[in-house]
Amino acid sequence: MRNLLNFLAKYNNLIIFLILEGISFYLLTTGNTYHNTQIVKGVRGLTRGIDERISNTRNYFHLRDINQALAYENSSLKNNIYLLRNKENLQFIPVSDTNYKQQYQFTSAEVVNNSVTRQKNFFTLNKGSRQGMAIDMAVSSGAGIAGVIVSCSRNYSIAMSLLNLDFKVSARLKSNGYFGSLSWDGKEYKYAVLSEIPQHVTFGIGDTVETTGYSAIFPEGIVIGTVNGFEKSGGDFYKIKVLLQTDFKKLHFVSVIGNIKKKEQLELEKQFQ
Amino acid sequence: MINRILRFSLIFVLLILMQVLVFDNIRFGGYINPYIYVMFILLLPVEIPSWLLLLISFGTGAVMDIFCGSPGMHTSATVLAGFVRPYALRIISPRDGYEPGADPSMLIYGLRWFLIYTSFIILIHHTALFYLEVFRFADFFRTLLRVFLSSAFSITFIILLEYFRKGK
Repeated sequence: MRNLLNFLAKYNNLIIFLILEGISFYLLTTGNTYHNTQIVKGVRGLTRGIDERISNTRNYFHLRDINQALAYENSSLKNNIYLLRNKENLQFIPVSDTNYKQQYQFTSAEVVNNSVTRQKNFFTLNKGSRQGMAIDMAVSSGAGIAGVIVSCSRNYSIAMSLLNLDFKVSARLKSNGYFGSLSWDGKEYKYAVLSEIPQHVTFGIGDTVETTGYSAIFPEGIVIGTVNGFEKSGGDFYKIKVLLQTDFKKLHFVSVIGNIKKKEQLELEKQFQ
Repeated sequence: MINRILRFSLIFVLLILMQVLVFDNIRFGGYINPYIYVMFILLLPVEIPSWLLLLISFGTGAVMDIFCGSPGMHTSATVLAGFVRPYALRIISPRDGYEPGADPSMLIYGLRWFLIYTSFIILIHHTALFYLEVFRFADFFRTLLRVFLSSAFSITFIILLEYFRKGK
């Protein structure tokens, strides 16, 4: 004890100095976004390799699930092809330009780091600007939407998960087309909240909720989830609890959706704002 | 004692005002930003206890940070300056030591002594400050150039201010 007191008395200046420097460094890194990102970048650089290795191992053990999901997606795609093929008069649609019909481009990517436990969750994808990723591209899993890319380095990109308090997407009820805004309330990773649906709208539990094409980020008609319950909020609106189709705890392979005509749409809309 | 505290408070307010109103607006091509508020740390009495010096440095830096909107940057640099000040004073102490109750001023110890003392602490403060500002080691030498140029200006201004103060 006495030694400890002696030690403290001898080095009291150094200790005060270190405490004060500690406080100011804390302020420096939390108060300034630039310094904060520099630190985060450094730490990410250290942990990225490890993350990727862990994700690889984990994927190996989940191969069965992944295969199942892919098979499921394949079959639904095949169904779609079949429907299209049987559509009447398909052969009379002239396609003079390959770009003419295509608005969205899909790329697959792998999730190498993910979280569902925080209030603001992000996940990391193993493709970056070199592979054509860009900010504001949509990310969807085989089952439903997953997030939006918010930052790209050369070989990685970070996406804001749907499970993020800042995430908002325009969504609608598939049965009647009424749309509202969908966000996460920060409680359970399986549920999100669809608000701004007026109270005269009729719908049932189990109805599908899907994206609208209004935001120019998500294509129209991607499934988000199903109605799980609802309550009245305020005077005129419902707050609908949506069971998410995507299982964010098992997010492995995702497709990144780029909107080729986004720039055009936004520029046009800008003229009237 | 009370008189002294009042005098130093006045110096503090004047230096901060000068820094914020005049010297923060000097920007020659982004290379020269003199920070003369450190002079307050330089002028404090020789016999001030180190812990008090560190706390005062922290406060001074914090006030600057509030004005500059850069939490932590000036604070950490100024605390470092406050930390090295006793060592600087010990290294360059005059042959017969410091007079009891004296301030480290140019009037008593001469221009040469004051110049070395000022340069030592200003260089350390500016190095810390500018490297914290860019916060990476890319452009190392460009930042170093900024450190030296700004230090030269800060030292010059502080010496001038000290002349002015001595005249009073």
